[in-house]
Amino acid sequence: MKVSKNELMASLKKAFEGLGFQPGDYHNAADMVVWLETHGFDGFSRLEAALDYLNTTAPIHADLVQEDAHNSVLDGKGTSILLCGSEAIDLIRTHVTPGFSAGLELINCYNRTFIIQQLVKAAQRNYAFVAYWRQLDYCVKVSITEGAELPEYETFTVTEVLEPQSLRVFCGADLEIIKRQYAGHLEFGTLIETYSTSEMLACYQASVEHGIEIDEALWQTLDDLVARILVESTESSRAGAGD
Amino acid sequence: MRTLVRRMVVENWQISSSVFDLDEQGYGTVVYQIEANYGTFSYVLFSHYLDPENRNDRVIADQWDLTMALCEGTVDTEQLDFLRNNVPKQEAGRVDSRVLVLSRANRSARTFEYVVNELANGHQPNVDVIAEVGYLYRTTAAYGSGKLGMADWEKVRTKHRDFARPFAAEMFTCYMLRHFSMQQADYLAAQRAPNSAVFLHEDIKRYIGIGNSTGLGMAPFLINHPLLINQWIEMRETALATVVAASESGVDEATLARLDVATQRVIQHLGEIVTADERQNNANLLLREELQLLHLWLEEQGAVLASNQYVWSSLTQYAEQHWHIETQEVINTLLIELYPELVDGFEEQMGVEESHQITPEMPVADLIEIIEDKYEWALAIDFSKHESMGVFWYRSQEKMEPRLGQTNIDMGMEKEMSLAVGRLVRECYDQIDSYNQARGQQNVAHFIMQNPAYSGIVARIQTMAQSHYGDIRENLVHADVLPIHLLRCKLSFFGVSKFDPRSRLWVRNTMFQGAPLISDFGKPLVDDWQFPIKPVLASR
Repeated sequence: MKVSKNELMASLKKAFEGLGFQPGDYHNAADMVVWLETHGFDGFSRLEAALDYLNTTAPIHADLVQEDAHNSVLDGKGTSILLCGSEAIDLIRTHVTPGFSAGLELINCYNRTFIIQQLVKAAQRNYAFVAYWRQLDYCVKVSITEGAELPEYETFTVTEVLEPQSLRVFCGADLEIIKRQYAGHLEFGTLIETYSTSEMLACYQASVEHGIEIDEALWQTLDDLVARILVESTESSRAGAGD
Repeated sequence: MRTLVRRMVVENWQISSSVFDLDEQGYGTVVYQIEANYGTFSYVLFSHYLDPENRNDRVIADQWDLTMALCEGTVDTEQLDFLRNNVPKQEAGRVDSRVLVLSRANRSARTFEYVVNELANGHQPNVDVIAEVGYLYRTTAAYGSGKLGMADWEKVRTKHRDFARPFAAEMFTCYMLRHFSMQQADYLAAQRAPNSAVFLHEDIKRYIGIGNSTGLGMAPFLINHPLLINQWIEMRETALATVVAASESGVDEATLARLDVATQRVIQHLGEIVTADERQNNANLLLREELQLLHLWLEEQGAVLASNQYVWSSLTQYAEQHWHIETQEVINTLLIELYPELVDGFEEQMGVEESHQITPEMPVADLIEIIEDKYEWALAIDFSKHESMGVFWYRSQEKMEPRLGQTNIDMGMEKEMSLAVGRLVRECYDQIDSYNQARGQQNVAHFIMQNPAYSGIVARIQTMAQSHYGDIRENLVHADVLPIHLLRCKLSFFGVSKFDPRSRLWVRNTMFQGAPLISDFGKPLVDDWQFPIKPVLASR
């Protein structure tokens, strides 16, 4: 079946609320899923994977375990980027100062691809980002220039020993400053694949024109989660909106 | 509504029925094809028999007299079949991204049969009877913005310039309903009495609008779209400031005379409103009395006023000091209406993206200052009083209808919707203040790391701090909260009139009453229908 972006967003927000997310969190999480799906990053399959975890525990946020002037480490404690991604990006932005970039490592977290939407969102505030993580036997690198609306997405062979569930993010006023100051952290193996911005844009435009294809079972799953925040209707409650 | 009508008239939109397949009872299918300025659209309408006992204006209804869809392009047989299988079901059906708006309507029990019978008997309906209601049908919902599989607002905004302003497509759907309602009345009269029936007089047609029932469901939208509401009010305030500035060197007597005529028109309009709501009646009465004072002032002082510098500034200041808020706002409206050439351009600036974002670098002390400055109204509320948290908002299992529950009496408090902005600000303020005293010198990102539950309200506060109007400065969970005020605010921007509160939770009103007809498109625009009054028929 096909749904519109707006109704998908509305459904996701309520579904995440049904999972116990707080208002800021369910907005952010819905934004991440919708952005990935509408830009060709398999947002729905990643959501299904996340729901397996989110359905079994109360929402958990990351802890700040290490911090200096420009670098920090967050422990995700096994949570999803859907819950801690925005906090991580908000935090790293505060470590950027004139002429200096910032680095952040988020360990022990899942569903890392969702971070892309948070990078895109923060890029609109004139920050540049490079982020990478290990996915199976390859490395995913995402970079975006300040003010850009779409990122560069590339995969490389793995050259560095990366924690399986960690994510590294570098942020600065522009990409050149980041690359200069964090050159030692930004060495990648052989390029495997790129996913171009034109492909992302085409995917997005198709979703606006024709709607978004979603598996009916997943839509039903979302409906079931939404049902958690609904209140049983009674004769007396009907009066709460009418006569 | 008036923005849309101005365009349709000036751009001479061509509207014709490509399908008009009604039986002798008026049930069946109608498709109108619309050639607008930039594109072609189809308005598909299904007319059904409805047992009067099942006629219900609430969201929870599942049957209606009419159901409609506004579609892009033309509609072929296959799509028409698809729409026939889904549009009558409304929320229980699904449509696709070729549909821009989905709507439904119910007949007025008081006027529809009366008008058809009068026409069938060969004479025009009594205008006084029409005036009591104002319409033949009333719409109970006009869904757009991607609901139920429809086109997203982003698609409408970027692809369909004819409807690229907030709610323009929804308003058009109501306008077409009005057109159909009168065409159907003419059609049924002719069916019943082919030899004696007459068509509705064009002046009466112009006076017939569309009814609207709006309930609690609109309130969460208003609360959750503060940037949009801010934009609307800011444009109105900018328009008012522009016309006040235009009176810098005085105004000509013709302009003063137009204001006087418009004032008398509003007085008559208010006198023709029929409502059983005592509060509304009293408000209308007071408004009429104060506008009468304005009329006398204009009559007596007109010549002197014309040469006064900033006469409109003096008038609005006088109104603020001496007259009630409703009178002040009507005067503001009348002044804005005097200068279409100065203000009509603002209608292109009514849209804005609703995005609330955290500014993580902001020092916590600055956020505290912002709350104390911009949300002083929220901090002034004593939430320890029971009545300050006397109600809660929730979504019902029944069609997810938003409802109000009484705290500690009704079920569902634990599933409360996050709409109590004032209380959320208060809680956030208390938390951030104690955090600041304990930690000091920290920024918002660190506060959120420690207190993630507040990220939503912090994003709202930081975003809205850059605007003036979007937040509703009231306790929305007070035991005596009057949600109809929220509904009236949004409906006013649509241009509706004749508010008829049916309870504190829902309100009936009238749309497009007095507006030009489709037959007026392409002719000189008469744009004075914002306060419709009874027509005086030229001939009977």
